[in-house]
Amino acid sequence: MIIDTNAYLGAYAFRHLRHNTADGLLELMDAKGIAKAWVSSAAAITHRNVQPANEELAEAVRRHRDRFIPLAVINPFYAGWRDDLAACKEQLGMKGLQLYPNWHNYSLADKCCLDLVDAATALRMPITIPLRVEDYRQRSWLVDVKDLSLAEIVPLIRAKPQARFVLLNGAGYTASPLGQKNNGLPANYWIEISRLSALMANEIGKLVEALGPDCIVFGTGMPFNAPDPSLMKIQVLQMNRKDKDRICWENAAALMR
Amino acid sequence: MISNPYLNRREFLTGTLATGAAVAATAWPAVNALARGAAKDKKNLVIDSHAHLSFRASPADEGDEAAVLDAADKLGIDQLCCSILPKRPATVEGFQAANRVMAAAHKRHPDRFLGYCFVNPGCGRAALEEIRRCLDLPGFIGVKLYNEHFCTDPIVFPVIELAIERRVPILHHAGHSHYPVKEQPNMSDGGHLAELAKRYPEARLICAHIGGGGDWEWTIKALRHAKSVYLDTSGSVTDEAMIDMAVKVLTVDRLLFGCDMSWTAGIGKIRAARLSAEDRRKLLGGNMQRLLALRRRQG
Repeated sequence: MIIDTNAYLGAYAFRHLRHNTADGLLELMDAKGIAKAWVSSAAAITHRNVQPANEELAEAVRRHRDRFIPLAVINPFYAGWRDDLAACKEQLGMKGLQLYPNWHNYSLADKCCLDLVDAATALRMPITIPLRVEDYRQRSWLVDVKDLSLAEIVPLIRAKPQARFVLLNGAGYTASPLGQKNNGLPANYWIEISRLSALMANEIGKLVEALGPDCIVFGTGMPFNAPDPSLMKIQVLQMNRKDKDRICWENAAALMR
Repeated sequence: MISNPYLNRREFLTGTLATGAAVAATAWPAVNALARGAAKDKKNLVIDSHAHLSFRASPADEGDEAAVLDAADKLGIDQLCCSILPKRPATVEGFQAANRVMAAAHKRHPDRFLGYCFVNPGCGRAALEEIRRCLDLPGFIGVKLYNEHFCTDPIVFPVIELAIERRVPILHHAGHSHYPVKEQPNMSDGGHLAELAKRYPEARLICAHIGGGGDWEWTIKALRHAKSVYLDTSGSVTDEAMIDMAVKVLTVDRLLFGCDMSWTAGIGKIRAARLSAEDRRKLLGGNMQRLLALRRRQG
């Protein structure tokens, strides 16, 4: 089985997306053998008030809760975020939280962000953090949103040991404490593979060696990205079946229990 | 529902995965890995049109060649058209040293590595002499240009004219950003290559890495009417629909498969594309074979 921890529904402001409706994404998942996907709203990345996009997402996945696990996009720098988070959890059935600090004009170190992390943790929601949305080189002339650096993530991981973070669309972990053995960090973070190499430099293999297979999760970034490259990584990884199962779905499933 | 995402090496290479629609639905061609001694089928070679080997001072040093071949083997890539880039902006000594290593790599693995002669066109006569020297050696199939000069800079024209004379393709680094790229102030984009193609319609130009050069939608549209310009599909960006748009706008006949060392990205985006088996064969190697055959046929 495969669970994709990095998928999206809805319109993105700067590029047309295919497969961005529930039916469209399910069709793609079926074609590629992906059983379930954690999904969040692509529209919420650029909206000021994110809550209508969260509501739209919840409605889109309502009939497909066996396949989609919805995540709430919350901006803690915007009025009413506590109300939005509560509504996402209690009324919309959202299972996790997704953060876009650079897109939503706050820092991971800001008090409002730390408060949101605490609130989500109290609700037992894992917190996903995409380090980028698209490749930085193709960014629109309208916005210049930089990638989150791994150095910004480390203090948050350290400051909130009870929280559970899933780092999406990142790379270069092996050069950061996040990807190194005995790094003194709490075991409260998971790394998603969509931008990691599986051949030559083989960052996935090195992370498994340093952190163990329990810390890596499968993800594609679809429908921004084609899912095939991530699927191929699993195929070419020199790893036993048990460890591949952990990466492909067991770790993700455990995070949502 | 597919329950098993895994496959063994043989299944991967031959595209016969029983349970993986990710693989099986795409009519992946059988791989004919020359170096592995498999049955040779030169019609269906998978050719990476944009690859690199590491720079090293001594041609005797095998560098990353074994690792590159291992990656290529795992993905079913038969041949790799490589360049070796020295420190840039490249000096005469730098590109000569790089090309010497390329020649040695081809000699060690003649069925796997083909070479682009890399030069800095700003080096004038020395660059032309280096191209002539390399193209007289076995294994060199074209010229690689990077970002020392825009491809429309007249300083580049003698290199283009020599490549036309020798009937070889020019793989040109390219990318289009909507912001100045401080590190690469003279980086060409698809628009520059289209302009160059107007001046030299007989040149065989390859615009590099649609997945590694910024706004790929812009690049594809900029190349639409430049019918003599090919586009390689390499690069780390794996945006959904990228290859399908390139096929729709440029036609599959102008696309060349490549990885540029982003291995699973390179193969994965082709596997994701909505292509007929024949179009997939063309993209993965047929078009590059046709391009390289022009030199042999006319030469």
